Amino acid sequence: MVTTEIDMKTVTTHLLILFCLSALVIQMPSLAFADEAAANSSSPATESAPSLQDLGFSQAQTQGNAQDQATLDKRSHMLKIHQRWGLATTAPLIATLLLAPGGKSNSSARSLHGGLGIITAGMYFTTASYAIRAPKIPGTKEKGPIRLHKALAWIHGPGMIVTPILGAMADEQRNAGQKVHGIASAHGAVGGITIAAYLASILAVSIKF
Amino acid sequence: MNWKTTITVVALALPNLARADSRWVLESSTLTYHISHPLHQVDGISHDARGKGTCHAGQCDFLIAAPVKSFDSGDSNRDLHMLQVTRGGQYPMVTVRTRLPESASSLSSVTADLDIEFAGQKVPYKQVAFQRSTDGARSRITGTVPCTVADFKIDPPSLLTVPIKNEMPIRVDMTWRTE
Ligand code: HEM
Ligand code: HEM
Repeated sequence: MVTTEIDMKTVTTHLLILFCLSALVIQMPSLAFADEAAANSSSPATESAPSLQDLGFSQAQTQGNAQDQATLDKRSHMLKIHQRWGLATTAPLIATLLLAPGGKSNSSARSLHGGLGIITAGMYFTTASYAIRAPKIPGTKEKGPIRLHKALAWIHGPGMIVTPILGAMADEQRNAGQKVHGIASAHGAVGGITIAAYLASILAVSIKF
Repeated sequence: MNWKTTITVVALALPNLARADSRWVLESSTLTYHISHPLHQVDGISHDARGKGTCHAGQCDFLIAAPVKSFDSGDSNRDLHMLQVTRGGQYPMVTVRTRLPESASSLSSVTADLDIEFAGQKVPYKQVAFQRSTDGARSRITGTVPCTVADFKIDPPSLLTVPIKNEMPIRVDMTWRTE
């Protein structure tokens, strides 16, 4: 009995010493890194490292899909085309303005201006259609200059519909030998506001405020 | 075993028990990417990163991750283009992994080897320097990771046909606490 008791004690002591030593050995790597230079080096992570799930991100957040990327690609592509058409539209727009017939215009000057106006409107709506049809990304909170750019579209959009109609009315009145009168006399002013809003909307997205 | 041995053994073992595997949690963070263009200087900021560090045998493995779309440059349209060029639909997260010795938690400067996964690429950055300061029970880590657009095979976006610069440094400001 006595022998067994001693044996038990010895075993316990050995176990405790063993535990103690192993605990020290586990500490070893950090002891080895005690000096600053060594402490600063590091190596790639292991399996014990945390995972994205440990961080509490959901599967939906961490897993991408080709569909989302395709939507983003399509959107960027269409908006690039939108910008190109938008910039190109400024050429006939300015020309329409410069060739606007004055009070004593002849019919060919009016036709040139009118023709350019129609081309401008056509290109304008092509520009707009790319912006309108570009896929929207759900959950986007609109921020920055794009808000002004879009707000200005509420001025130049209707303006670009009304201006040519008023222009055509003015042209008809002139061809009938009349002075431009009634609502048609607003054509020039409406056209001017439309041009100003359009140019402002280009500036809105190209200049940083 | 006599009582002296027992006490010695227990006394030696206790600090080790106390220093058993510790864990770090990212409490708050500001990650800022900077891109430059002759016409614009852009900072995109995210406060949505989450991070954890698990320490074992004196080594701590850290993972920090943020959704790519959480970076806000103050222009929602630019952010969506950023998401597109960085293939954020396909790879919605940016993750950073690193391993540091536990003892680094008491140093004022730490250099770390980072593995960054972003835009479908995994890029190692060696020996990135960070400053560390203590604020009560918290550790604040600041530094800049010298990322470039080319590292992640990102097609550099251009404005008025001029592309952005290749440099895309990421400023890091993180506050960690132990769990
Ligand atoms: C036809 C007249 C225009 C209309 C109605 C229009 C309308 C719009 C709309 C609705 C958007 C928002 C698209 C979206 O976020 O889904 C947009 C974006 C934009 N537009 Fe226009 N826009 C016009 C002309 C122009 C012009 C002339 C430019 C010239 C540079 C331009 C440049 C842009 C830019 C840069 C964006 C931001 C999209 C991007 O980042 O690519 N737009 N436009
Ligand atoms: C984008 C489209 C257009 C713009 C921005 C535009 C702009 C202008 C401007 C600024 C004027 C000068 C007004 C003045 O001198 O008081 C003008 C005059 C005129 N425009 Fe247009 N215009 C456009 C399209 C058209 C079209 C499509 C037509 C006809 C088919 C037209 C017919 C005329 C006529 C007849 C005048 C002379 C009016 C007058 O004698 O009082 N315009 N336009």
